[in-house]
Amino acid sequence: MLDAQTREILRDATDRARRRGIQASLLLHRERSHLLRLGNSSVSLNTTETLTRLKARVVDGCREATHTSLRELTSAQDALDTLEITVAKVREAPAREFEPILERVEEGVAQTGQYDPALAELDGTSKTEGYARIMRDIGPTPTYSGAWSSGATETYLISTATDDEAYHRCTDSQFSLVLKHPTQEWELRTDQSGWRVVDFSAERAVADIMRVLPVYQQREGIKVEPGTYTVLFGPQAMAEILGMALWTGFHGRMYEEKQGWTSHNAMGDTVFGANITVTDDPGDPDTFRYAFDLGGTKRRRYPLVERGCIAGLMYDIETAAKYKRPLTGHTTQTTSVVMDGGHGPDDALAAVVDRERVLWIPALHYMHVPSMAKGLFTGSSRFSAVVVERGKIVAPLFSSRVTESFQNLFNNLAVLAAERVSVNLSDTYGRRAPVAWSIPRYAVAEGVHITDSADSF
Amino acid sequence: MCDTERVQREAQEGLSWVMEQGAAYADVRVHLDDTAESLVMYDGNLEQNETLSQQGLGVRVLWGGAWGFCGTSDLRRVHDCFARSLGNARTAAALVAIPLEMGEMPGHRSTYQSPVQVDPFSLPLNERIDLLRGLDARLREDWIQRRIVMATTQKKTVQFWNSEGTCIEKRLTNVFGTVMIMAPDKDGQMQRRSHNLYTRGSGTRGWEMITDRELFGNHVDRVKQELADLLPADVLAHGRRSVILLPGQAWLQVHETIGHPLELDRILGYELSYAGGSLVTPGDIGTLRYGSERLNVSSFGNIENSPGSFGFDDDGTPERDYLLIDRGILVNVLSSRAMVNEVNHVAGRTVVKESGGAARATTFYRTPLERMTNVNILPGTDGTVEDIVAATVDGIIVDTPTSWSIGSNREHFHFGCEIAWEVKDGRRTRVLRNPTYQGHTIEFYNALDAVGDASSWRVEQVENCGKGEPNQIMQLGHGVPVVRFDNVLSGEKG
Ligand SMILES: [Zn+2]
Repeated sequence: MLDAQTREILRDATDRARRRGIQASLLLHRERSHLLRLGNSSVSLNTTETLTRLKARVVDGCREATHTSLRELTSAQDALDTLEITVAKVREAPAREFEPILERVEEGVAQTGQYDPALAELDGTSKTEGYARIMRDIGPTPTYSGAWSSGATETYLISTATDDEAYHRCTDSQFSLVLKHPTQEWELRTDQSGWRVVDFSAERAVADIMRVLPVYQQREGIKVEPGTYTVLFGPQAMAEILGMALWTGFHGRMYEEKQGWTSHNAMGDTVFGANITVTDDPGDPDTFRYAFDLGGTKRRRYPLVERGCIAGLMYDIETAAKYKRPLTGHTTQTTSVVMDGGHGPDDALAAVVDRERVLWIPALHYMHVPSMAKGLFTGSSRFSAVVVERGKIVAPLFSSRVTESFQNLFNNLAVLAAERVSVNLSDTYGRRAPVAWSIPRYAVAEGVHITDSADSF
Repeated sequence: MCDTERVQREAQEGLSWVMEQGAAYADVRVHLDDTAESLVMYDGNLEQNETLSQQGLGVRVLWGGAWGFCGTSDLRRVHDCFARSLGNARTAAALVAIPLEMGEMPGHRSTYQSPVQVDPFSLPLNERIDLLRGLDARLREDWIQRRIVMATTQKKTVQFWNSEGTCIEKRLTNVFGTVMIMAPDKDGQMQRRSHNLYTRGSGTRGWEMITDRELFGNHVDRVKQELADLLPADVLAHGRRSVILLPGQAWLQVHETIGHPLELDRILGYELSYAGGSLVTPGDIGTLRYGSERLNVSSFGNIENSPGSFGFDDDGTPERDYLLIDRGILVNVLSSRAMVNEVNHVAGRTVVKESGGAARATTFYRTPLERMTNVNILPGTDGTVEDIVAATVDGIIVDTPTSWSIGSNREHFHFGCEIAWEVKDGRRTRVLRNPTYQGHTIEFYNALDAVGDASSWRVEQVENCGKGEPNQIMQLGHGVPVVRFDNVLSGEKG
């Protein structure tokens, strides 16, 4: 549980607000983050951050305001100051046409299952040793880059709506390694995710790189002409495409306001192939598990796509208030999306052994959505992409642009790996908020449009 | 509340202490007054009424050729922050192939303040909200389904000290604004049209910018008319044609395919694991034909009132106006102090003489890295927008990004825009929906065949440029005129 002093400060501030008839919530976020960055085979940055944020939200009828203080919470007065600023703001806010929903802790919870004290204390020395070992094992020729972010995060939510408190403590780690050849200019990448120190393995990183390194060393890159191709997508690429598809098609705001590609569909409509089932499952161990969202709603297993049909939409607290929909537990960055696997063999190459030519694209760089209404996305291949013929890697693939619709792609996944893997989707822009999804190890997509290609990686 | 004098004294003591421990360089940034506000009026309802105030310090130490950094919101532990930063640098120094050096810069005491007439935070909140409400009322029409009016204001005081004796205080103010409306087109697909607050490049940058009707409010009627024109319009057909970028689109083209690839950390390979590399190599500086003779690009540009104008960067270097591209030839890049020696070493000759003053950190708990300041296309001699249209046989004019996807070395790109106007034989003939265009950077800029004069040039403000690990958001600017490119692949097949 949260340390007693901080908890007392926040409980006291909430009680005082309640006694004054103020509807308020307090959200504390405390992180100790560490990131070691590798560039040009050197540690280019070794950084530590210790940050405390207190966000207050006040609702007064149809008025609403929030204020966040990013500073150390040292006394009861600090919390009261944050609250008072918010109360002053709400008085000046104009009334909305709809009543905002106040955060409400649905059920008291203290979730600490994904916390590893050893990862919380992991520092630059271990990370430097990890990278150094990988560099020793692979050899000196490529240039090594990467980033290894780890940290410990506490989240605590309390509001005047109930007496309950929601507390979450976790650790998370996101590791990347990139190899670039100084003259041939190819780039290879491997990633790892986890919440324990033991989730990282230097051997696994080396093995993943060695899978494609020989062909990159021995063969020239291939430029493919624009056209349709069978593409073997890796889990990072699939997670990114699925993420864009869910953002533009399964968020309540996009749907209610007819902005996204599902706008003209109803619940139960078939939008994807029958082999596609996607669930937000906060119990899945491949993901970073959150028992509650930042609105205090208990997060439950929530089907989004069932055998290709729309099964559910995700509503945040603002959209639910505006469109008078039930809260679904999606006032959060930290979803636990699980895409069901299929029947494909563990080895991706074995899944395409009967196909003449396949483009294996593990990840897409800088994806975007030129048309949300049509569900059109675009992005280009980057790391570790190869051409596969009859199940054998034959050459590296130059940077190639995929421009395709979500509907075409998810209706034409001919093979899905049975095995799922954890894909870390965290960013570090603002407060630490670990996200990992569970995605089939690979997916074979037929008829994918390659719309541009370069003669370089 | 924190004891300002104590923090300042402990910061100075910390700098002396890390240098005594053998550091080659150190600096500290303290933020005691740093506030941002985001107001979003969505369909007439104030859906976002948020403020953030933050306090803390960040310490950077160079030891053994490696950087250590520590940021904290706990101002009680200034010395701990120095100790951790030094410890991090010592750990990093265990794995260094190319030792970093800051070069030498004499210490100086300086101040900078954004030119501001009206401090946005000096106004009562309801006055800022009233501006949004007034604009929202003007956007309201039965056929318009979504109305969004946004204002973001930022104000921060940054105190910087380094081990060379430099002491800088910066007071920075930013004001951003957007109006956007949406309505379904004839196929039932949502279309949108928007306008972002820009600047003329000179003048002040307080709240008076957003109340300047020419910069913001007067665009409401144009945006409404253009959305109405989009709804019955045909979709842009796939094909090759001239593409004319208005400043509202040209800024992003410059941002993604000139600004980012000319960041020296990307060129040297320090961003490979996240943002990507660059099509430019150190040896290209001074020799690469990046674009046609018409292409002249500057950094900073002596622009008075842009988010990319900040007096001194976070290395303590004064902002500098210099050319990046001179008549099509790449002549310089965006640089910080620690990368100058390395790029010259890799190139085997002096390609960068001094830091370009481009080391910027988003806030106290992130470390500085190469960032755009203002990256600008200088006005040309091909006249006004209408002069360029009149000289176009077969093309489109496009404005305002909806999507952007760029190759990892910025070598190729695909952009979507809100609106296009068809141009045939020197005349705008009709509006077209769903415009997209794509190209390969060097080929594209070499096909630059018209650059508008100062009449179309303006500074577009960028609120959210993301880069770096840990990730950082930065504010910057782009001064751009109307530009035309020949034979560009545009529109989607099918
Ligand atoms: Zn950017």
